[in-house]
Amino acid sequence: MMPVNFRNGSSWLNLSWLELLASGLSSGDRETVLGDLAEAGETGAQAFLAVAGLLIRRQLPVWRNWRPWLAAFGLAIPGSFLLMGFSVSIAQTYQSVIGGGVSPGLTMLLGDIGLLAAWSVTGGFALGTISRRTTWISAALSLLACGFCLGRFRIDSLSRLCLLLFLPPAMAGLCFGLRTSRIRFGASLAVAIAMTVLTTPHWNKPGAWLANWMLSWPAWYLVAIAWRHKARRRGFDAR
Amino acid sequence: MLGEFEYLIITAAASLGENAYSAGIRDEIARATGRKCSVGALYTTVDRLEAKGLVKTWMGEATPQRGGRAKRMVQVTAEGAREAEHFYNAVNRVTRNVSWARRGLRVT
Repeated sequence: MMPVNFRNGSSWLNLSWLELLASGLSSGDRETVLGDLAEAGETGAQAFLAVAGLLIRRQLPVWRNWRPWLAAFGLAIPGSFLLMGFSVSIAQTYQSVIGGGVSPGLTMLLGDIGLLAAWSVTGGFALGTISRRTTWISAALSLLACGFCLGRFRIDSLSRLCLLLFLPPAMAGLCFGLRTSRIRFGASLAVAIAMTVLTTPHWNKPGAWLANWMLSWPAWYLVAIAWRHKARRRGFDAR
Repeated sequence: MLGEFEYLIITAAASLGENAYSAGIRDEIARATGRKCSVGALYTTVDRLEAKGLVKTWMGEATPQRGGRAKRMVQVTAEGAREAEHFYNAVNRVTRNVSWARRGLRVT
């Protein structure tokens, strides 16, 4: 690809920002829009606004559906806050176990680590499945929530990074969700049941049920999706 | 019936003929109306026209002045030409007796 020659002394920095923004467009749109802007000799700011305008117009119809809203505001934002809280709780439990404290014990810690990993992976997976075309917005909102908490973290005995313990498994789940086209019913049901069992030690904590279900619903959502795929396939085979 | 902007795009594409592509249509509309149309408005309207079967688009050749990027070529279909004619006739009929139309006729 030849470098785009913008008039009015636009720099390569402008161009790279423009290309970064245009990466949200389909490859066909990206190719022709950047070409049109180069041919018209539009300046960096003008070109940036033109691409942003097209990007918004392309995204708007997608947001008429309930799925992007659920992914962004029902999962990405609340899930990130709750998982950050749970990550800190695990880091504190780890400190007390290392420090020789008897309660809550190593078993509890291992159970919580498993639960954090399961919640994060299924949350990320569901995020990649619910609304693929708006995944980048959901991911950006999640990172925004992380930035907000990182800026306000005030526990001296812990590193700020412990807030982000959930992030690697969540990102792995997201990548897996974006690549997977079919979810197996048996596997998703096993994960959801195992996860629900792991939450049982937290059931006696007041108010914990809400957080538990806020973080567990993606796993049960995946079970419902897998069940629907299975039912459709059975209907298709029967015909 | 076509919208006003849809009509402008079809007419600009028809007047450019075989050389009709997105940037050229934008220039043609800017020349005719004195206002530059946004890339977003143009692309989404062309998509809508294509979905209605009024225009056909395909990726054209890349040129050095475009930074080696391809053009989006646009061709008006027979159905698109019929719709544009219908719009033009309707506008002509409705404006026949209004003052600015009569003034326009005297000027020309």
